[in-house]
Amino acid sequence: MADNEKIEVEEAIVEEAVVDSSSGTVRELKEHFSDAVLDYQDALSEETVTVERSAIIAVLRFLKDESSTPFTRLCDLTAVDRLYLDEDVRFAVVYHLHSHLSNQRIRIKVPVPESDPVVGSAASVWPAADWMEREVYDLYGIEFEGHPDLRRLVMPDDFGAHPLRKDYPLHGNGERDNFAF
Amino acid sequence: MGLEDQLSDHVMTTTVDQVVGWARKNSLWPMPFGTACCAIELMATLASRFDLARFGAEAIRFSPRQSDLMIVSGRVSIKMMPVLKKIYDQMPEPKWVISMGACASSGGVFNTYTLVQGVDQFIPVDVYIPGCPPRPENVIQALMKVQEKVAVSKAM
Repeated sequence: MADNEKIEVEEAIVEEAVVDSSSGTVRELKEHFSDAVLDYQDALSEETVTVERSAIIAVLRFLKDESSTPFTRLCDLTAVDRLYLDEDVRFAVVYHLHSHLSNQRIRIKVPVPESDPVVGSAASVWPAADWMEREVYDLYGIEFEGHPDLRRLVMPDDFGAHPLRKDYPLHGNGERDNFAF
Repeated sequence: MGLEDQLSDHVMTTTVDQVVGWARKNSLWPMPFGTACCAIELMATLASRFDLARFGAEAIRFSPRQSDLMIVSGRVSIKMMPVLKKIYDQMPEPKWVISMGACASSGGVFNTYTLVQGVDQFIPVDVYIPGCPPRPENVIQALMKVQEKVAVSKAM
């Protein structure tokens, strides 16, 4: 066999492997939510699926209750402000899920526009989402529709800003010198 | 000369201010407002190796109504400051305040939106301790400075 042919064959195998590396969960997601899955990334077997905002609660509920590996635990729920990154949509809400059954993990991302920063609440899927969503609301100003009690978590109730937004100055807007007693 | 001549050797005269000041300075009851790592050093100061009891200030009280020396040891956020002020207001007069460490005194390295840049903006501070965190010896020295102040304060 000539060297060139051999290389071609090897490349074909590598390509096939890349396609196959997406886990069963991701394939299931693509099957059930073909319109809602926007993007899929694999970084050293850490899988990230970007999902349409309107479908997020359905996707999370599917992952927890109906997928072949039930993601019973919500490890983390947080957000990213991509103001200074090369992204069309400013915010992203990120869900880190873990399956007790198979010890598998998956990351779900939802782009959230600045003009309408609202996402469905996952508190009805995992009660653990309650305080995590309050923290995201507090620090990023992203609202969670259907949340049982959406109040600030760490900042004072009358704090006027959302300090983890990238356009908020480090030293604040004078809140630390002028706050209610 | 004067009254002393009329009395025998085993009687001593003084003033009420001096007696009360002496009693107070040797029996300070600290209220620890510990919010960070400085509080760990404060605990070490109270424990056997440094033994704050030698200076009469070992009776730590978590009830402000039973204490007369507040030791602010740690960061104070703008959400915590109203709590600190309330506790300070609940302490009976006379009372003294030690601001322990860089954070309580000036905000320290935390020059951020949520941290009070020195508790002296809101309550009067008698002694500042520099350090991050200060060693127990520094705390003892600060306590002795407060004692000097207490000793010469008015009884009423």
